[in-house]
Amino acid sequence: MAVTETYELAGHIVDSLLLAKVLDQVLEAGADYRLDQIDIGRTPTDTSRVVIEITADDEVHLDRLAEQLQVHGVNPLAPGDAVTQEATLDGVLPAGFHSTTNLATEVRLDGRWVPVENPEMDCGLVVVEPPEPGGAPVVRTLPMHRVRAGDRIVVGVHGVRVVAPRPTATDASFGFMDSDVSSEKPKGLQLASLADRLRLARERGERTLVVCGPAVIHTGGGPEVARLVRGGWVDVLFAGNGFATHDLESNVMGTSLGVSVTSGAGTEGGHSNHLRVINEVRRHGSIAAAVEAGYVTGGVMYELTRAGVPFVLGGSIRDDGPLPDTMADVVAAADRMRELTAGVGVALMLATTLHAIATGNVLPGAVDTWCIDINQAVVTKLADRGSHQARGIVTDVGPFLRHLADALGA
Amino acid sequence: MAELDWGRTYLMCPPEHFGVLYEINPWMDAEVAVDPDRAREQWEGLRSTLEAAGATVEVVRQTPEVPDMVFTANGGIVNVAADGGPRFVPSHFWHPERQGETEQFATWFAERGWAVDRLDHELRHEGAGDALPFGGVLLSGYRFRSDRAAATQLAELTGAPVRSIELVDERLYHVDITFCPLSDRHALAAPMGWDAYGRRVVEALVPEPLWLTDDEALSFCANSVVVGTTVVMPTTPVRVGRQLEAWGFDVVTCDVGEFLKAGGGCRCLTLALDVPLGPGPRAPSPT
Repeated sequence: MAVTETYELAGHIVDSLLLAKVLDQVLEAGADYRLDQIDIGRTPTDTSRVVIEITADDEVHLDRLAEQLQVHGVNPLAPGDAVTQEATLDGVLPAGFHSTTNLATEVRLDGRWVPVENPEMDCGLVVVEPPEPGGAPVVRTLPMHRVRAGDRIVVGVHGVRVVAPRPTATDASFGFMDSDVSSEKPKGLQLASLADRLRLARERGERTLVVCGPAVIHTGGGPEVARLVRGGWVDVLFAGNGFATHDLESNVMGTSLGVSVTSGAGTEGGHSNHLRVINEVRRHGSIAAAVEAGYVTGGVMYELTRAGVPFVLGGSIRDDGPLPDTMADVVAAADRMRELTAGVGVALMLATTLHAIATGNVLPGAVDTWCIDINQAVVTKLADRGSHQARGIVTDVGPFLRHLADALGA
Repeated sequence: MAELDWGRTYLMCPPEHFGVLYEINPWMDAEVAVDPDRAREQWEGLRSTLEAAGATVEVVRQTPEVPDMVFTANGGIVNVAADGGPRFVPSHFWHPERQGETEQFATWFAERGWAVDRLDHELRHEGAGDALPFGGVLLSGYRFRSDRAAATQLAELTGAPVRSIELVDERLYHVDITFCPLSDRHALAAPMGWDAYGRRVVEALVPEPLWLTDDEALSFCANSVVVGTTVVMPTTPVRVGRQLEAWGFDVVTCDVGEFLKAGGGCRCLTLALDVPLGPGPRAPSPT
């Protein structure tokens, strides 16, 4: 993994061409630099000082380079430890708390860089004492509402660094999609690339997260997602009340929001179909109970229940019913999503804006995130909200899923 | 061309306990015996040559445990232009064999009323051996005997701008074996001793350098002492002597062969006591 350290070079470094030499040597060594602070003397007598952030491929290369540069007076800038402050109220971070990104982050404690266990954006950082005496302290992200009085929270930016994301060798094969999201991309190639990535995840033991919007059902993609679940390609699924409702409706009544999923025609009294289905599932007490009782005999929710794949249905004010499984407490829903994202390597956002953004908020930036939507603005929105890792495939999700399930042999 | 505004007073150390007793540069060979009488003769010869050229020589005495103290150029950095009287920064030697010299030089200067400034404990710098004034800046070498970071502190202590150049050939381990200021426009310069950046720094600094070939540089001819228009050289390659004379210098070759066995020439045996440092580059005189 790429490592970055900050160094200082001071003196008459401009006329001596020392700065030029040092920067040349950094590049020649295959490393990269960023000048963080540049104070150039006004007169020839004034000394200059620059702070250089150097990034190398790994610790070994950085150490070797640092040793070379030390000869020229380039010294590591002791960044000092991160400052922590005790929270005084439950659910409230100390003022000046360090606000996180979703990128891999390290915190300096007792002169050592400790990686943050679970990168997540818009959280605080809590320092947990080592489980056994003499062990290394643990640093975790902590959403505001989970703060408890007495928690040691990192404040300010000192002693906190973000490890810059670097393309890895395995990314290279997917690199052709690195340009802006566009509808004018060869879909077959994008699909093959995604299928490869899912196979790689399975090989590596990474979990695959699928996030679905109701349009997946409306466009006829429900059976394809069900195939993927059955084939073991889905390890966890996030959606809302709408997706689950229409999935159940289409299997029980053959309609999605009253429209026949086979003929595309409206049905008599179809507008109330989904309400009747929700009502019956509520009578059973849960989706699992409805499956058990034989009320639901197919579809995504059915396959998830049969395969024991965990899912979260996040609630909203718009929800009809809601289904008994829908979590109306959104804070609890977000916490449950956090628990289930552990070990996720790939996330597919299928035809959903709001659930994609909600999921993006709790995902580490290192998770390969693919957004499949007919509206290219969704990918942009996701990136604008901090999930810069998201790649987009602009297409109709229904046919796309069929091809994906075929490609994976699901 | 104008004469150098320093180089009329020198500190020298008679070779009462000189010898090649250890090897800390490629020229030293502990198997080679130094003839103490010849050394003493050569040292006296250099002293009288400098005095004949118009210089004053002061003397510091060495003790047996510091045989290399005869190379007074390495003793420290002199600055007579400082506010509040002359100041001295004693060297921090690279090799433990010479570290005993630091306090002896510091004491000599302190006893004569000089203010003594100190480098940070961990920084090493070998004085005028690795820092020569030219054009209002201090040209300082680093790598073999001096730390680059020490130059930054020297700049703070003396007020002089420092140009640090990296030495790349271990045989030319001090900057005073690669560079010799001759006047406000001229200097002897041995590019083989520096990296590409260092060469560019010297090119920009010296209006009329006499570039030495590798053989000339390795003859130690840059390790010379300049008193006004007299250049006192340990060896004088023919081409170099002609050019110096063409520029109007009197060249005197002074045999210091016993000291070359330890890797030191005329410059190494002298520490100029009248160097004014800072506060910035001075324009050379017009041609």
